[in-house]
Amino acid sequence: MIEPEHRLGGRLFWVSAVVGWGVIAYGLRGLLQHHVDTRPANLATFVVGGALLHDLLFAPLILLVGVLVARAAPRRGRAAVQAALIVSGCLALFSYPLVRNYASVLHNPSSLPHNYTANLAAVLGVVWGLATAVLVVRGFRRRAAA
Amino acid sequence: MPAREALVERVHELTTDPDLPLHQHAYRSALRDERLAAFLGASLGVLFSVCFLTGLYSHLHQHPLSWLPVPSRPAGLYRITQGIHVAAGIASMPVLLAKLWVVWPRFVSLPAVKSATHLVERIGLFPLVAGGIFMVFSGIANVAQWYPWRFGFPAAHYWVAWVTIGALIAHLGAKWAIARQALRRPSRRPALAAADPVLGTVAEGSHPGLTRRGLLATVFGAAGALTIATVGQTVTPLRRLALLAPRDPAVGPQGRPVNRSAANAGVLHTATSANYRFVVEGKVRRPLSFTADELASMSAHHATLPISCVEGWSYSALWRGVRVRDLLVMAGARPGATARVESLEQGSPYSTSALNHAQAHDADTLLATHLNGERIGLDHGYPLRLIGPGRPGVNQTKWVTRLVVE
Repeated sequence: MIEPEHRLGGRLFWVSAVVGWGVIAYGLRGLLQHHVDTRPANLATFVVGGALLHDLLFAPLILLVGVLVARAAPRRGRAAVQAALIVSGCLALFSYPLVRNYASVLHNPSSLPHNYTANLAAVLGVVWGLATAVLVVRGFRRRAAA
Repeated sequence: MPAREALVERVHELTTDPDLPLHQHAYRSALRDERLAAFLGASLGVLFSVCFLTGLYSHLHQHPLSWLPVPSRPAGLYRITQGIHVAAGIASMPVLLAKLWVVWPRFVSLPAVKSATHLVERIGLFPLVAGGIFMVFSGIANVAQWYPWRFGFPAAHYWVAWVTIGALIAHLGAKWAIARQALRRPSRRPALAAADPVLGTVAEGSHPGLTRRGLLATVFGAAGALTIATVGQTVTPLRRLALLAPRDPAVGPQGRPVNRSAANAGVLHTATSANYRFVVEGKVRRPLSFTADELASMSAHHATLPISCVEGWSYSALWRGVRVRDLLVMAGARPGATARVESLEQGSPYSTSALNHAQAHDADTLLATHLNGERIGLDHGYPLRLIGPGRPGVNQTKWVTRLVVE
């Protein structure tokens, strides 16, 4: 087994590194040139903060949930539970600013027109309903086979 | 001391138990696999490239370049490109999170640097990961109109996009051979020799739960669920399914959404004042001036055109108004004239917008007085709004008071 680190290099690696870092430099220059709009210090807090939040809080939290699911969920239903949890997590993460209704400060009735707490609950209901249906159908099939 | 011994034992257990997070074995999973990482990475590469190109097109509309004029036709082009931009951005959220999950042990693996090329590759991961997370987060927050930051969203989202796409180019070059090899590998069961020691890959079927295909299907399922729950804000036949969309194309004043109300724009008084005038000036032989009633009686041209917001929602409507090109002729502008419209709204970057030659002379570029047969409401830009084919919503300037010919 050759580790991926030792498979790096070659012409493609260096050409794309030079081009890529050129484009990165163009982006950074633009950020600084338009500092009145981009507010680099505030922007850096969000860019660096987002990565740190993911790597040091979000990712370990997901690992922990993974360990808990591996211990708590029965072997047969585990895949369905994992899939439903992943889909639910993504839907909930996306819906967070909608449920919190941050846009209400704008007093624009056409922005965020729904009751997103109820709608998220309905969508999650469908997801877990599907997961349950899959488990039930598989259970029947196993019993029929046995 | 039994308490101390117990503590030592507990620490030993926590750091060596193969199932607990402090031990490398805790990351072992058949799912942390090069082939899966390559699939997710390729999908993310496509989604990010689509977002970048459609975003660039949107930027070009809002920051025009004289040597690269944007077309005014097809009329629905911007509706499609921006709808795709927002939908692809939302769909990339589960794919990005899954990709980061699969390769996460790499971020914390030691030694941090193994060679010069590894150093170059590893430094480039920071703008890629931080930029990718920022782009998806800021885009999703923006469509929900959540602004927890102090920077201007369009400028920050635009410039960080260049940083992210640059890091993506470098990453593609670094991973091309590895990803291609992984994608060519027989799919079902890799030889254990091909497993990645840092990712801690183990053979498929060695523990219960999702398989690699199952995880891939779940991630695309999550992306699909997010798409179905939101895309009806622009694909109007699916609007009833859009339970999590920030907009409903049929909810708002006059049954149509707006992004900025007249109250927020601070034009409630000036737009309804008897002193309101619309003027045509600049490089013209005969400057013109009209009252709101004169505009309504002159308004005779009909066009069915979409309003396509940069935030990814859109609707189509029947507009009635005065053609910009007819006003240019009335005012005696030169044939090659371009123009700029100005709003009553003060101090907003969107209070003015430019019409290039194709846009100014398009038969359907109107200064509209009517929306779906009714006098246009205050929130939609009363007494006069610009509506032209193939433009972003922010450039369909509302509460227009001046047409400056250039």
